[in-house]
Amino acid sequence: MSKRIRSKIARGSGELAILALLAEQPLYGFEISKQIGERTGGALKFTLASLYPLLYDMEKRGWLEGRWQANHAGRDRRYYRLTLAGRRQLAPLRQEWRTFFQALDSLAGVSHA
Amino acid sequence: MPDWREKVRELLGAGSLPPENREEVILELAAHLEETYEDGRAGGLTEQAAVERALQEVEDWHILSAHISRARSEEDPMNDRTRNLWLPAMVSLLGASVLLMTLQRVGFQPRLVWIGRMAMLFYWPWLAGLPVFGAFGAYLSQRAQGPVRARLAAALCPVLVLLITLCLILPWALAIDGFSALRLAYFGLAVANWVAIPGLALLLGALPFLREAGVREA
Repeated sequence: MSKRIRSKIARGSGELAILALLAEQPLYGFEISKQIGERTGGALKFTLASLYPLLYDMEKRGWLEGRWQANHAGRDRRYYRLTLAGRRQLAPLRQEWRTFFQALDSLAGVSHA
Repeated sequence: MPDWREKVRELLGAGSLPPENREEVILELAAHLEETYEDGRAGGLTEQAAVERALQEVEDWHILSAHISRARSEEDPMNDRTRNLWLPAMVSLLGASVLLMTLQRVGFQPRLVWIGRMAMLFYWPWLAGLPVFGAFGAYLSQRAQGPVRARLAAALCPVLVLLITLCLILPWALAIDGFSALRLAYFGLAVANWVAIPGLALLLGALPFLREAGVREA
């Protein structure tokens, strides 16, 4: 698999993971990366270098909105929440990945591997 | 504990970050590193190890700076709508127009089908070629992750332009020549001739690309 395709898959899965997480509640960058790591058992991992360019890009596309507010410890953090456009992206993205995994499963039997 | 804000400022360097966003980005990245550091400390790491762990979040600060700069830049030479609608629509419009102009230039005679006193013009090779342009427009839109309605609009762009043109001409024609049922019938025929039938041909080509597809890039 070429580096370009790998990067596109990583980016697509990252977008879905972030949208799905923020659909539940607004979070700031560190929380997003921590929750993704914890909830996927470490299978998906976002470093600062991979997370923020993606967050900013999704924000530019109008899927997310960032706003500074104090966290539970009283420190200012930039919380991201889904916009209406972001919410609309979630269902088709989920469907795309479902189809992708079904296709991969029928080809390579990944769910039985 | 290091001053994370200063550390990020130093590591990002002069960089290419837009000045209006620079401080905000530095604050946000510094906050992330600070929490990574504190997480490490809470997990039992020594101060030195926790700092190193935090700094391992970024392999190359110059690359990160360039990525952030691109992502935060207000200037997007091609936004999503351009990629998934306007560009594919232009391609199908241009293709269909060039084919029709070429047929007319080489002297191809359209087939006339008479309906009472009115005639319909059929450029068969043009109609036969339209599914290709419909398919191409819808495919390009799908490749740019366009939603189904953008793919449909891109594929049907040639006939949508014709429909808009006809609708703009109609009131003028009625105002100049006066209202008559025959004129309206001509309009209906023109819509059938230049919009409905070519539209069906374009749609035929676009159909395979109108389903919600899987992950296209994968």
